[in-house]
Amino acid sequence: MIRFENVGKTYPNGTPALKDINLDIKKGEFVFLVGASGSGKTTFLRLLLREELPDSGRILEAGRDIGELPKWRVPYLRRNIGCVFQDFRLLPNKSVYENVAFALEVIGRPRSTVESQVPQILELVGLSDKSKNLPSELSGGEQQRVAVARAFVNRPLILLADEPTGNLDPANSESIMALLERINRTGTTVVMATHDKALVDRMRRRVVVLDKGEIIRDQVRGVYGVNEGAAR
Amino acid sequence: MRVYFRYAFRETISNLWRNRMMTLAAILTVAVSLSLVGSALLLKQSAAQASVAWQTGTRVTVWMNAAASQGELDAVRTQLADSPLVHKCVFFDQARDYKEFLASLPPSETNVLTVADMPTSFRCEPTIPADAFVVESTFKNQPGVYAVTAPEQQIRQMNHAIRILQVVFLALAGVLLLSATVLILNTIRMAIFARRREVSVMKLVGATNWFIRIPFITEGFIQGLLGSFVAAGVVTALHTWYPLHNEFALNNVALLGTNAVVIGVGVLIGSVGSAIAIRRFLDV
Ligand SMILES: Nc1ncnc2c1ncn2[C@@H]1O[C@H](COP(=O)(O)OP(=O)(O)OP(=O)(O)O)[C@@H](O)[C@H]1O
Ligand SMILES: [Mg+2]
Repeated sequence: MIRFENVGKTYPNGTPALKDINLDIKKGEFVFLVGASGSGKTTFLRLLLREELPDSGRILEAGRDIGELPKWRVPYLRRNIGCVFQDFRLLPNKSVYENVAFALEVIGRPRSTVESQVPQILELVGLSDKSKNLPSELSGGEQQRVAVARAFVNRPLILLADEPTGNLDPANSESIMALLERINRTGTTVVMATHDKALVDRMRRRVVVLDKGEIIRDQVRGVYGVNEGAAR
Repeated sequence: MRVYFRYAFRETISNLWRNRMMTLAAILTVAVSLSLVGSALLLKQSAAQASVAWQTGTRVTVWMNAAASQGELDAVRTQLADSPLVHKCVFFDQARDYKEFLASLPPSETNVLTVADMPTSFRCEPTIPADAFVVESTFKNQPGVYAVTAPEQQIRQMNHAIRILQVVFLALAGVLLLSATVLILNTIRMAIFARRREVSVMKLVGATNWFIRIPFITEGFIQGLLGSFVAAGVVTALHTWYPLHNEFALNNVALLGTNAVVIGVGVLIGSVGSAIAIRRFLDV
């Protein structure tokens, strides 16, 4: 599903963010991306979204080199990738329902699709009773669940999460994690960058460890690790 | 598609409303500058029409003193008839001059005049139009002649004045059009800034670039269009009520043409303003 071949990325200001990354992620896999701050996790995810282009190597998604996509095709690539961030990125003046519906409306889905899909996904994240609330009326955990609903409402093949539990307490982290697992069980590939050691250790999923832009460990049933990446 | 039109319409209206003060300023600037452009165009067209009207008629008029004797009159008549400079002459007696005055002046001025007050005149066509001035200098000191007028010269002076007026109008309009474009650009920039969150979410979930851009483009387009509608109204009012234009009877086709230009320019600056704003401030 996702394949990195000798990918290198240096930002225009000269900061090397990723060096010679080779990685294969299969359809339906759940992968933790861990590493110290500045090790290149966010850069990795940005490359997958084609918010950045690699300077060297190539990235394949669903067998296609995304570097070769013409610019106008990029939105269509992104329709197959859901995204969740540490800071939720909800629209503050729209209700829960409208926030989720927005993601479908702006890619031109007909109203009937919106009306059937949104309640369904709100049910999945357990927020049916709060669909009329504004984000400011929700807890952090609830807001993140709205963000997950928005990312998943178009049923993407890949779900990227950049420290989705970074701003949440353990109980809320737990419920987000459970949600991502459920989404993963539907066959969606999930890549999650995180600093949450307890979470990673308990889940026993594939762990890819980055250090200064390089992969230093890739384990199938991995743990966060003690030496490397324990910087936080 | 229907979903999209509804969306784009809603976004455009809410953008315009959110920045309503800026929107109003932009629309008014467009209106003022395009009113100037429209007036300059009308002025030019009526000047052209006036020149044509006058040039096809009499070019030199030799006005006789009301008290001129029959001898003086006959002398001037023979000289005019013999002069190689003059192609042909028509004698206007008092009654005929009076009739012409009635036709060309407002009643408030004609009702104090009687036939007896009228001068008599020779309406002459010079062989070569440029000779009008020679005819003038030859006859103006003849006994019994009150004055010689050559409308050619008046036309020339008026054309000159109109040309200056036009240059001033167009220069002012140019400056104003430029500031109108900048104002539109700025309202779009503010709209983009106000909606940066929405824009970033749209990019994230895969909205196409045009989907993101079009509400902003229509916003500039509408500002240009509304401004030019106001200007077209002003131009039409000018055409209807301002005497200078009526006098030369510009027809409605000329008015329609002028308004079409005004609206076209309005739409153009609206689109250009928003296009620049989008290129510079909307990173999609
Ligand atoms: N837009 C950018 N321009 C220049 N340098 C950048 C940019 N974004 C990130 N970097 C640099 O690239 C390196 C990798 O950054 P990245 O954000 O990928 O790290 P990260 O692993 O996500 O860190 P964190 O855990 O703190 O989120 C860092 O040295 C960072 O300073
Ligand atoms: Mg990061």
